[in-house]
Amino acid sequence: MLRDYARTIFFERSREEHYMKKLLREFSKGIFIENPTFRLALGLCPTLAVSTSVVNGFGMGMAATFVLVGSNIIVSCVRKFIPSKIRIPCFIVIIATFVTIVELTMKAYFPLLSKSLGIFVPLIVVNCIVLGRAEAFASKHSVANSVFDGLGMGAGFTLALVVISAIREALGNGTFLGLTILKGFDPALLFILAPGALLVIGILIGAVNYFTEKQHGA
Amino acid sequence: MSGNNFTVSPAPHIRSGLSTRAIMYLVILALLPSGVAGIYIYGFSSLRVILISMISCVVFEAAFLKLRNRDPKIALDGSALLTGLLLAYNLPPEMPFWLPVVGGAVSIILAKQIFGGLGHNIFNPALVGRVFLQISWPVYMTTWKNPRWAVDAVSTATPLAKEGAPLFNYMDLFLGNHGGCIGEVCILALAVGAVFLLVMKIISWHIPFTFIGTVMLLTWIFGGDSMFSGDFTFHLLSGGLVLGAFFMATDYVTRPLTKKGKIIFGIGCGIMTVVIRLRGSYPEGVSYAILFMNAVVPLIDRYTKTRKYGLQK
Amino acid sequence: MELNQLFVIAISVIFINNFILSKFLGLCPFIGVSKKTEPALYMGLAVTFVMTASSLITWAVYIFLLKPFHIEYLRTLSFILVIASFVQLIEMFIQKFSPALYRVFGIYLALITTNCAVFGVAVLNSEMFLKTADNPARALLFCVTQGFCAGVGFTLVLLFMSGIRERLELCDVPRPMKGMAIAFIVASLMSMAFMGFAGFRF
Repeated sequence: MLRDYARTIFFERSREEHYMKKLLREFSKGIFIENPTFRLALGLCPTLAVSTSVVNGFGMGMAATFVLVGSNIIVSCVRKFIPSKIRIPCFIVIIATFVTIVELTMKAYFPLLSKSLGIFVPLIVVNCIVLGRAEAFASKHSVANSVFDGLGMGAGFTLALVVISAIREALGNGTFLGLTILKGFDPALLFILAPGALLVIGILIGAVNYFTEKQHGA
Repeated sequence: MSGNNFTVSPAPHIRSGLSTRAIMYLVILALLPSGVAGIYIYGFSSLRVILISMISCVVFEAAFLKLRNRDPKIALDGSALLTGLLLAYNLPPEMPFWLPVVGGAVSIILAKQIFGGLGHNIFNPALVGRVFLQISWPVYMTTWKNPRWAVDAVSTATPLAKEGAPLFNYMDLFLGNHGGCIGEVCILALAVGAVFLLVMKIISWHIPFTFIGTVMLLTWIFGGDSMFSGDFTFHLLSGGLVLGAFFMATDYVTRPLTKKGKIIFGIGCGIMTVVIRLRGSYPEGVSYAILFMNAVVPLIDRYTKTRKYGLQK
Repeated sequence: MELNQLFVIAISVIFINNFILSKFLGLCPFIGVSKKTEPALYMGLAVTFVMTASSLITWAVYIFLLKPFHIEYLRTLSFILVIASFVQLIEMFIQKFSPALYRVFGIYLALITTNCAVFGVAVLNSEMFLKTADNPARALLFCVTQGFCAGVGFTLVLLFMSGIRERLELCDVPRPMKGMAIAFIVASLMSMAFMGFAGFRF
């Protein structure tokens, strides 16, 4: 009985033929087609705030991925018990729990990273990507699917963060992961300051629009 | 304006009888004395900055127009040249050659063409370019040069620099006998150009006079060690106040439309300038003040317009 | 002394560390609700109200609950819970007693529930004033001031932005840059203008 139940929540669609393929699709959609940052414009606040260096961006991406996967698993597990009226507060509690875990772990093991990410670690709790995936995906799909969805979205978010922070670090500090790229290049300080973040994301969104348009328009 | 292929532009329609092109070249003409003064005071290097800046502005404008399948000849309508000139006037006389190029690219692409070109920009392009450079390369942007005839070749601070500013007498400030940006330094030459523009009715008195008046009033009240003891003549004559008030805040596209709006705009610019000059960490606040007020212009227009055309709400 | 400090907090939160332009908090409503001036104003007012009120509530939670029991690590969880339920409560309250007001503000309140600017101000308050608070009453004053002024700064920038975007409707913006992309460019230019306030000396 219990085993049957576990089976349904884990492998709801296990009879489908291309099961692994589907999982993979759940994973890859987050990176490209539904990239949370560039395509859906979700979770922009932390993206802009912490992308001053690649290390910060990657750290933030990893933290958010952990919270995404964790909360997706729990939400998906309990999705059958939670009355739909109070589901949002329940999701928030689940997410907040994982955020607290990340917060304390980071403080203990990566104190420097924790310091430079500042209040944006606790702010993962109000990151629309996390709540959005819990509500739109995990509360309707099996655990396995939700895990891959969380991983994919997390990877997409991390990728976007790394891209943006690589651009900003290179232009604004002349470095990549702290290593000098080009000797004699005068970095433009603006890019690691607030206006630079808004500028880079604006141009990147424009570029993504341009290429999608080209692809569909031709 | 016959024969040019401008698309229909939004709100800031030019009201005077002159064509856009004529106005642009008249403003450039009015700015010439100040440029000549800058070149005379700081020598050949300022001419180099001016030329690089103007050429790069026109080239970037033409390139972007080409990219959008528009006629690249529009780049010669004078507005890009004017932007380049104003940008150069806001730069120190000596700097690496690529700095004005970057400034021109930012001014033209980021502040003007991306909004749709002339008549569409929200912020003053030359000022966006200058502020971009100021934030990005503060060291180059604050390396001043002494006048050619100064004995010590070591560059000094501008009069507005907050610590260790040497004393200047008013005549030196008025004629431009001190370190500063190329086009803002000689008040006499700027005044000649400003009078020309006022007489030709290309600009009205509302913005420059309320702007300068507010700065003088507030620096008189708060600028000194005690209340009402500030040196307002000094604040009038130093920094980019005259250049900004007459030539940049009055830009047709980025100023309010109504008289009432212009007065509000001028006073706002004045307040922001004084706040940054007296309290901020940057020595000069004029460019930031004008940019800040540029952002408010659509709201000013909205609430000073007496009648709305078309649909109400 | 105290008045001076309050002034410093106000200027700093409104201009120097503006929530949108320099701290990047509340970007979703900033991009989402800035297309027209009127909704922007209502959104700003709603955010200001909720920020002020939640500064007060989280102060109470921290001083009377988290601190005495030494469970400060539950800050994230407890703050988000009280803020979310408070906003829900307000929403229901307004819906019940003033349907007219609800028609204007209801939708914005729903959007604010998980707004990072509101949560952000609570976390910032706790980092800046509550952790080291020896005088709870003073901390309350600072928290509420910061909450209110953060809302004012938010409203101000949202209003500027909405004015600009109304004008942009008429502009010949290149097609890929339309919408969000150009909104971010405008925000970037505004942020440059706000940099003029950096490094204020009081």
